[in-house]
Amino acid sequence: MSHEEEKVKVIDARGSYCPGPLMELIRTVKQSNIGDIIEVWSSDGGSQRDIPKWTEKAGHEFLGVIHEKGYDRIRVRKTR
Amino acid sequence: MKRILVVGGGTGGTIVANNLAHRLHEKLVKGEIEITVVDSSSLHVYQPAYLLIPFGIMHRNEAIRPERDLLAETIKFRQERVNKIDVNNRLVKTDSSSLQYDFLVLATGAQPDYSQVPGLEKGGYDFYTLENAYKLREAIGKFEGGRLVVAVTGIPFKCPTAPMEFAFLADSYYSKLGVRDKIELDYLYPLPRPFTIPNVAEQVQKLMDDRKIKTDLLFNVESVNPEKKEITSIEGETIKYDLAVLTPPHTGSEVVRVSGLTDKGGWIPTDRYTLHVKGYDDVYAIGDATDLPVSKAGSAADFQAAVVSTNIWDNINGFPPSLRYDGRVMCFIITAIGEATILLFDYEHPPSPPPPNFACYWYKLVYNRMYWTVTAKGLLPGFGV
Ligand SMILES: Cc1cc2nc3c(=O)[nH]c(=O)nc-3n(C[C@H](O)[C@H](O)[C@H](O)COP(=O)(O)OP(=O)(O)OC[C@H]3O[C@@H](n4cnc5c(N)ncnc54)[C@H](O)[C@@H]3O)c2cc1C
Repeated sequence: MSHEEEKVKVIDARGSYCPGPLMELIRTVKQSNIGDIIEVWSSDGGSQRDIPKWTEKAGHEFLGVIHEKGYDRIRVRKTR
Repeated sequence: MKRILVVGGGTGGTIVANNLAHRLHEKLVKGEIEITVVDSSSLHVYQPAYLLIPFGIMHRNEAIRPERDLLAETIKFRQERVNKIDVNNRLVKTDSSSLQYDFLVLATGAQPDYSQVPGLEKGGYDFYTLENAYKLREAIGKFEGGRLVVAVTGIPFKCPTAPMEFAFLADSYYSKLGVRDKIELDYLYPLPRPFTIPNVAEQVQKLMDDRKIKTDLLFNVESVNPEKKEITSIEGETIKYDLAVLTPPHTGSEVVRVSGLTDKGGWIPTDRYTLHVKGYDDVYAIGDATDLPVSKAGSAADFQAAVVSTNIWDNINGFPPSLRYDGRVMCFIITAIGEATILLFDYEHPPSPPPPNFACYWYKLVYNRMYWTVTAKGLLPGFGV
């Protein structure tokens, strides 16, 4: 993951529980432009499982997960 | 004199006020304490009835009571709309008065917000208001066959189990009428499983498979086309329907938003244990209005009401707070007419529901009646546990 930080839209959903982070991601993807990278910060373990599934179904690109202390940074690119 | 002000006389607000009125009866009679409930409506609605009205299992007269009759006589009731809550100056403004408080309890609930999904209101039916529950009753009665779609169009919403219960009830209702084979039942849900809690979702999926209720998962409704009778998802799918029962997205009450008391989703940031509105020791929030990571359910409001009324009583009597909310929620899932299971869970313990059975269904129907005489009266807050 070597995207320039300024191009990444960050959603800080730490402290929000399933399905909060996924719902916030979907809302943000809807409002974004094709090519935008969205990074969800989530402390809910379920996000790592649900977000890739949603990304695949919705036809966007799952870019990966960075594990931080107490939360994960999950990146997605809007592709359509 | 200490003034306790409750904004919202629905499930949570009524239980807090009534429970405090029992415990503080003498002080109320002596005029040392005042409890006021403010609600824009003079009527108290038992909303779980909305799910059962379409199937003729409950009726209008079982769903509504005058709020004044439910509240203890020592409680002041004002039927006024609250327009502004100023927590820095301890002042609540209504259409006709300015009310000051020493303790404020916010229990303003959640409401459907049809505007979030284009075509939603025209395109389908729902059971989120009394009027709509009756319209739906007529529609399912007249439905002669085709595709019946039950969809969740936004999370969070009131009573997370209600849409799947509707699907199970529809399956059961049409089976009993002997016409189930003429109906295709389709359940659309935003997540990769048919319910938020994974272990419960597994059981629900199995039941839906057994009952031939098709599940379309990761289906986040983008719009509804009432003319073409189509539902389109953000993920790019389109599903046709003959009858659609659509759970609308929800939002908090406008007054808490315009008073600057909410997060960007419209919910009140609430301490998950003390139930204080974050940053204010004299203000509590309970029930659907909060951002708590629990179901928007009357039982959650009831458990929270027990904590708040106890801790206000403690404060008035010079004791430290003696209860913490542990995230407890109790939900029934009706899985057929005559069959239900029960979920009991908290922040630390996921539910482990028993297999669906008649006893749970019977208890749910009895509870619907007990709500008026026990729960709303504040006689057994938090179910006594
Ligand atoms: C179809 C359906 C089925 C359900 N089934 C179940 C179930 O089986 N089990 C369960 O536990 N829960 C169930 N619920 C959920 C339950 O009804 C709610 O969670 C519960 O009512 C929440 O209580 P509350 O006090 O937070 O809000 P409410 O009971 O909604 O009360 C909010 C009150 O605030 C008032 N208010 C709001 N704004 C203002 C203002 N500006 N001025 C004055 N007054 C205001 C409103 O008029 C209202 O009376 C169901 C709900 C629905 C819709």
